[in-house]
Amino acid sequence: MTVTQPAVEALEESPARYGLLRYAAAKAGGALLSIAMVIVATFFLFRLLPGDPVRALAQGRNMTPEQLDLERARLGLDKSIPEQFVHFVKQTLQFDLGTSYEYKRPVIDLIGERIGSTLLLTGTALVMAVSLGIWQGARAGWKPGSRFDKFSTAISLVLWSVPTFWLGLLLLMVFAAGIGPVPGVFPTRGISSVDAPGGLGYVLDVAQHMVLPCLTMVAVVYAQYLLVMRSSVLDEVGQDYITTARAKGLRDDDIRRRHAVPNALLPTVTLVFMRIGFVVGGAVTVEAIFSWPGLGQLFYDAIRVPDFTLMQGTFLLITVSVIVMNTLADVVYHVLDPRVRSA
Amino acid sequence: MRKLFAAIAALGLLVVSPGTAQAAEPAKKVVKVGVTQSVDSMNPFLAVRLVTGAIQRLMYGFLTVPDSKTLQPSPDLAESWKTSPDGLTWTFTIRPAKWSDGQPITADDAAWTFNKMITDDAAKFGNGPAVANFASVTANGQELTIKLKTPQASMLDNPVPIMPKHIWEKVKDISKYEADEFPTVGSGPYKAVEYKKDQFVRLEANPDYWRGRPKIDELQVIFYDNPAAAIVGLKKGDIDLIGRLNPPDFEAIKGDANIVQWNTQGRRASYLQINHGATTTDNKPIGDGHPALKDVRVRTALHYAIDKQKLVDEVQNGLAKPADGSIIPPLYKDFFWAASGDEKVTYDVAKANKILDDAGYKKGPDGIRTMPDGSRKLQFRFSIHTDTPIEDKLAEYLTGWFKEIGIGLSTKRLDSTKFTEETGVTALFDIAISGWSVNPDPEEVLGTHLCSRRPTASGQGGGTESFYCDPQYEDLYLQQQKELDRPKRAAIIKKMEERLYTDAPVIALYYPNDLEGYRKDRIASITPIPEDNGLLYGGSGYWPFYTVDTVTPDGGEDGISGGELAGIIGGVAGGAVVVALGAFVMMRRRQDVADERE
Repeated sequence: MTVTQPAVEALEESPARYGLLRYAAAKAGGALLSIAMVIVATFFLFRLLPGDPVRALAQGRNMTPEQLDLERARLGLDKSIPEQFVHFVKQTLQFDLGTSYEYKRPVIDLIGERIGSTLLLTGTALVMAVSLGIWQGARAGWKPGSRFDKFSTAISLVLWSVPTFWLGLLLLMVFAAGIGPVPGVFPTRGISSVDAPGGLGYVLDVAQHMVLPCLTMVAVVYAQYLLVMRSSVLDEVGQDYITTARAKGLRDDDIRRRHAVPNALLPTVTLVFMRIGFVVGGAVTVEAIFSWPGLGQLFYDAIRVPDFTLMQGTFLLITVSVIVMNTLADVVYHVLDPRVRSA
Repeated sequence: MRKLFAAIAALGLLVVSPGTAQAAEPAKKVVKVGVTQSVDSMNPFLAVRLVTGAIQRLMYGFLTVPDSKTLQPSPDLAESWKTSPDGLTWTFTIRPAKWSDGQPITADDAAWTFNKMITDDAAKFGNGPAVANFASVTANGQELTIKLKTPQASMLDNPVPIMPKHIWEKVKDISKYEADEFPTVGSGPYKAVEYKKDQFVRLEANPDYWRGRPKIDELQVIFYDNPAAAIVGLKKGDIDLIGRLNPPDFEAIKGDANIVQWNTQGRRASYLQINHGATTTDNKPIGDGHPALKDVRVRTALHYAIDKQKLVDEVQNGLAKPADGSIIPPLYKDFFWAASGDEKVTYDVAKANKILDDAGYKKGPDGIRTMPDGSRKLQFRFSIHTDTPIEDKLAEYLTGWFKEIGIGLSTKRLDSTKFTEETGVTALFDIAISGWSVNPDPEEVLGTHLCSRRPTASGQGGGTESFYCDPQYEDLYLQQQKELDRPKRAAIIKKMEERLYTDAPVIALYYPNDLEGYRKDRIASITPIPEDNGLLYGGSGYWPFYTVDTVTPDGGEDGISGGELAGIIGGVAGGAVVVALGAFVMMRRRQDVADERE
């Protein structure tokens, strides 16, 4: 008691800060609990999948039952499920994600090799989708019912409803292969050409490869930012401070950009933070259409086997990043919006 | 502000450069092969995927290679070989050729490779089963001696690439070695010079290859994650060849003046697997198969009720051959067995009905037969995979035909892992679709119908394709394993196929064709394996990609090619976007400035 006394006093001097710290600590605790639950769920969830990884890997190869047993023992699959679980938890707590059944290499290495290209693609797409969504949403919400509002909202909703695979393949067929007068400008696969030049040339080559996958991802997801932004700007339009700004003689554009939008950004910021968590997960579909060498493809391959360690590793990474980003979103929201603090 | 604009404009112009830069490179003969499977590892001791096996064939010599005409084992790194009378000692004479780094190839390299696999568990992943029967491997100069535990006729189909000892003995932990030092040291027609994970492998001609340098300079193996995109790539010219197409994708390349549709005999058999009373290795029943299917007469009646030609025409778009034999397709002339005479089953509904009538399976009022003791209706399940239109169509036809002989059939769609489990381990099926791609030596596919491949008592799968366990078949399997005389061995193998045909634990439906496509404006000539009506990609050995040649070297070409044009347009488009973005930013900035001045 005596030891903590000065600390408490110090904290009382800055109640706002103390509140934030306590809030963040509570959120972090919750996140840790979620992660622990995810670790447990991950193990049992994937064990529910039917299929024998050893048999799947041996398919098409002349292996005797003894050799199959040997392989099972090597992968630790001959042990009971509780034993396997204890081993898995121990390993995971030491940040060791194990060795992939199929690639025979540490899962962490396999993820490390692919996370860069996934982050590049999904990160760029996120930034573009957010910018486009906020920009269009703000304008649409400022003048609801206008031609711009109807047009942009309708387009974004149509794209939102389109299956990713269909849209991606369509873009591929039109802009990569070329149809009629449309030249096939973009490559049909991958992150770079086989004979890509070095230096700046390589950067531009990658940029060219990124156009179609990025476009697909942006087209399918930007509607959510647009709609959230639109509705929160709409909420601001009738507010008294807007009337005041108008009375001061400010131009309409300025009122929108300087007064309405900053106030309306809050829900969008939260949404963006939550989506950042999913950036790591990538987009399995988009990666599959454009043969993008990322995590999505690795995960998909892992499910086919099933390669338990690889699945657990990628799944853990994805869920943990979502949890972490959600927690951050909560904290950021707390900082940005005083109303949450007082509540 | 001006500076910023200038910088953006300059960047926009630079985008154009990749297209033009390519044109300046010296003309190389390059062939680009599209594949829809990614390379799992460049280390042959670890790799298991088919695509990786194909690339290994191009990079390393093996003891033997299937002959380009007959598919019989022919000399590769082993110039010649002899066998002891008891069939247990094999002596190979290794060709005095050179590794791509100039070092001589000796029997010691081969002995090291095999011994590494025998002694180091980590080196067994890739091809472990191939050395399981090896008692010892020794080298003396160019002479390699392999002593076997039991005779093994398939010795000459050994799938292990011979590795250069002087390079690989330095590797400390084989399980962690990625073999990512380029160019690789090998003894095949090509050497790998670059590998990007999940993207491509670039191979360069090996000028010192003992058969002589390949005709082209570079072979690129380019990965596509899905066949639809690969077809777009072929049409556009991003790749020159793609193999292993399914009928719909094959139809999609029709009508392109620059693309050759390659439609030849394939190495696969498609068949029905029938739960004829599945058991485990301790001969205890397993699963829930319909009791009527234990009766060979019912299985034969099913066989008579299938119009295989119709299946080929309607289900496979005519791109297959109706099966008049068993699990080995006619591509393998030496081992293929076709039914004839009384044994031959042809589509005959009346005969099928008669067999069932005679066997006492009487039709009920609803037209469906019952067991002779009246206990159960002949209502079977047909297990297929989800999302496979071809199998759905097959199920429709079978249901119609079986109805005509008083047998009900309901379709059960399963995802692939569940399917493998139910039809290969737990035996929760009546009839299931199946198939197998056969190697030049058929021992592997024959092995999938052995008693020992059934699941164990504890429920571990052993790799059976039928739950078959037949003393006659087992006996023949052991005989062919010991028979080193090829024609005699083929005769035994044909008897095994005959047994499978008449006892019908599996019913072969058709042999799907090998469907591929390549650009004739890029590839001038390519020899399939076998040379007569064979495969390009996915066959055995290196022949097609060793013999491939391109259309006149690019050097003679004037103007810019389509690809370069596309590159330039792409660059310009990219540049335009950058410039437009720059201009937009500038305008916004100006406006801001104007606002501030107000």
